[in-house]
Amino acid sequence: MKRDLMEILACPVCKGELELTVEQEDEKEIIKGSLYCKNCNETYPIEDGIPNLLPPNLR
Amino acid sequence: MDPRRIKLTVAEAYGQVARAASQDTCCRPAGSCCGPADRVADVPAEAIASFRGCGNPVAIAALRPGQVVLDLGSGGGLDVILAARQVGPTGAAYGLDLSADMTRLARRNAALAGAENAAFLRGDLEAIPLRAGSVDVIISNCVLNLTPDKARALFEAFRVLKPGGRLILSDIMVDPDLSGFPLDERTIRSALSWAGCVAGALTAGQYRALLEAAGFRAPNIELNYRYSPADLTAETPAVLSRLAPAVLADLASRFASATITAYKPV
Repeated sequence: MKRDLMEILACPVCKGELELTVEQEDEKEIIKGSLYCKNCNETYPIEDGIPNLLPPNLR
Repeated sequence: MDPRRIKLTVAEAYGQVARAASQDTCCRPAGSCCGPADRVADVPAEAIASFRGCGNPVAIAALRPGQVVLDLGSGGGLDVILAARQVGPTGAAYGLDLSADMTRLARRNAALAGAENAAFLRGDLEAIPLRAGSVDVIISNCVLNLTPDKARALFEAFRVLKPGGRLILSDIMVDPDLSGFPLDERTIRSALSWAGCVAGALTAGQYRALLEAAGFRAPNIELNYRYSPADLTAETPAVLSRLAPAVLADLASRFASATITAYKPV
């Protein structure tokens, strides 16, 4: 995912802001990392460039 | 089936489509797919092979350069790729899908198609992971029928749309209802598969009521193609195959593909 996607992403549960942690990034986008929701204390993984924002009960 | 079970079943069925391991989700009456051939010019073959829509929402969306588009249930990414081309480099097209296999396939297809302004998110359309008022146009192609809580899904669609934003869906509809058969509606629906797009289909009246309850204005529903028995499912479930051919034909014809449009007031 590209960094500018952060402008519109929200936690699927509380719709609050997400904190981005990057583990691997190429010249275009983030390949691996995570998105953390402080309100829910929930971490959503980014794998193979795709953020997995399924609600926790569907993972 | 409980809602969570339905979602996991649907994700698994379409995951198999993404892995090219299944043709068995056919989600459309003959004739409803996919529009003129030039629609799919220069699109990766995998995006077409995995397409399970029942209409062509991108064609009627009249997208403009710079717009942000969200496709609910983006599958192999065909409609997102086409939308990404129309909104151009100043716009963006996003696809949301339950299935890991589908989002991976869609990402690969978009890269092959050179659609740099396309991106895919894994998520549930009943819990859209986007901020309120972030999208100009929502499209969806034969997916709303697959989700158990349609009221919730439409509420979420309304939330993420900008004021004045538009919703353009292709979906399967029941018309006029499922009454008058030797089997009751519950039995008919449970015999049909959720993944096959008909078990969870609504009537136009039900659809309109849910759109209005979510806040949408001017909902418009147009029926396109009716099912024949051959479209209903690859293998007619046992409980339905006992129906007389004319009754089965009548039952099949109660399902139709439809185009649904509505907008969020300014």
